[in-house]
Amino acid sequence: MSLLSADSRRDFEIRRYPLLVYGLVPLASLVLQAWLPRVVGRYDWFDLPLVITVYFALGRRSPIQGTIMGAGMGLFEDALSHHAIGVNGIAKTVVGFLAASVGIRIEVENQIVRLLLNFSLSLLSSVIYFFTYRFLLGLALEWSWLTELMRAVGNSLIAIVLFPSLDRLQMRE
Amino acid sequence: MDSFFARYRNLVVLLAILMAQIAGLAVQVRHNSTGINTLDPSDPSGVRLIRLWGNAIISPPERLIHGTRIGLSSLWTNYIDLRHVRDENHDLQETVDRLRLEQAALLEDARQGQRLQALLGFQEKYIYTTVAAQAYGSSGSDRSHVFYIDKGSREDLKPDMAVITADGIVGKVRDVFLHTAQVLAVNDATSGAGVILESTRIRGILRGDAVGRLEVVGILADQRIQPGEKVLTAGGDLIFPRGLPVGVVEKVVPDPDRDAFIDIIVKPAAHLERLDEVLVITSTEPRFSPQEEQDIAASESQKAVVPTAIKDQVKASEIMAEKLPGLIDPNLPPDQQPLHDTSNPNPAPPPPQPLHADEFSPGAATTPGSETDKAPAPRPQTPKPVVPHAAEGNGSKPQPAEVSKPLTAPQRNP
Repeated sequence: MSLLSADSRRDFEIRRYPLLVYGLVPLASLVLQAWLPRVVGRYDWFDLPLVITVYFALGRRSPIQGTIMGAGMGLFEDALSHHAIGVNGIAKTVVGFLAASVGIRIEVENQIVRLLLNFSLSLLSSVIYFFTYRFLLGLALEWSWLTELMRAVGNSLIAIVLFPSLDRLQMRE
Repeated sequence: MDSFFARYRNLVVLLAILMAQIAGLAVQVRHNSTGINTLDPSDPSGVRLIRLWGNAIISPPERLIHGTRIGLSSLWTNYIDLRHVRDENHDLQETVDRLRLEQAALLEDARQGQRLQALLGFQEKYIYTTVAAQAYGSSGSDRSHVFYIDKGSREDLKPDMAVITADGIVGKVRDVFLHTAQVLAVNDATSGAGVILESTRIRGILRGDAVGRLEVVGILADQRIQPGEKVLTAGGDLIFPRGLPVGVVEKVVPDPDRDAFIDIIVKPAAHLERLDEVLVITSTEPRFSPQEEQDIAASESQKAVVPTAIKDQVKASEIMAEKLPGLIDPNLPPDQQPLHDTSNPNPAPPPPQPLHADEFSPGAATTPGSETDKAPAPRPQTPKPVVPHAAEGNGSKPQPAEVSKPLTAPQRNP
């Protein structure tokens, strides 16, 4: 894991994708996230919008873009649920910002780094969600940390498979 | 100032977006009189707009994927099912015809039962109208057990309508869009339904726990509750009609918050994780289709025909009885009764005489303590046997042929 200055890494390693990819991949992740739980039943231990947010934030290395993408994905997820709109939005906003900030400073091509990043950011997202819902809003919430742990593991495994596939979509100069 | 924003623009953007979302959350939460924060059940217009956009963007591709999957999986099975379909169709048509008549009779019984219950003051509800819908999507999160169905306000769906399957209850409609609706499943933590245990008649509130299991809460510890007992809807929540299956008791666990209470873990009757076809109860009032109305009318007219025919028969027999000559005229002396009328060419034959007359024989009636109890009963008069000779045309009354004469005088049994 080599440490570089933020500006030099950003200049050298910003990934660019066709515009269609920015639109279709997040949309596909939201649609699949809504549809797949009906197929896999109770084993829906994954959060595809979170994985995609982390991927684009790491690739673009822009905290603002990561923040906006995280906020958008989270708000869409909230809109499909029956909970308050903004809880997922806040969690994924922070995750997008942090992923982009980390991506500036460390090498993120390594699979182990990706796995650890996804695992830790998934848990962080759950913590922020729980904190916002329980303490900021003061609402009652049934919660299972075991499920959140399983979700973090699931996200990490999906990221290992998905990130190399999405890498092929980037524009080569 | 410009340099400050340029230097911290990432943080400024982050904080601005976070603050906007926190402000948005603040308008969605209400502080009620009991000091507990709750989500506003009626979404503010801005929040509803976001939900509408989210649904409008996600639902079409989701429905497309779901439809494609269903289509592909049913392609092969449909081909298999097509064999012998003509014969099956014929048999089914006969069954449908029979069931329609039976249904009409049952509907009548149901209406009658409802009228009687209304008289008795019951507030029972019956399922009369349902809309079949296809479940195609979910919220995508196990923190929110909601799913989407492909029917909406165009099919007159409204919030708080019950959603069921043939196996049991599923949830209630939470939000309705033009072509879709969001259903809150019964295994969500914010859901609630009144239930009753079938044999012990213990009532409780059904809801979901953190991992999406069904549990009945608010029940005092009771040894009678055993695994396997059926759980039914109690009908007091004004959403689910009474008596619908909910599931069976899986196990009983102590309430972690209250000592004297228990929680009942329920195995749901409906497959909540993999729902396809569901029924939305749109009405619990009697509302029959034109075909059902026609069947009921036909059934009622058939019912009315039977008593009318019986009445007609009774009336006809009475008229006939009035016109026919009687055998006994109370206004005439015994020797001039029509039975002895020799002018009648076709008289009614007298009853046959018994071989051994007893107390039941004509003319042998006795009363307790009368003389006939002590004395032998008089020998019954037997008419003089005359061979009928109608061909003679002499107008004499033909007599029945003699069958036998008693050899001894009849003796009363001691």
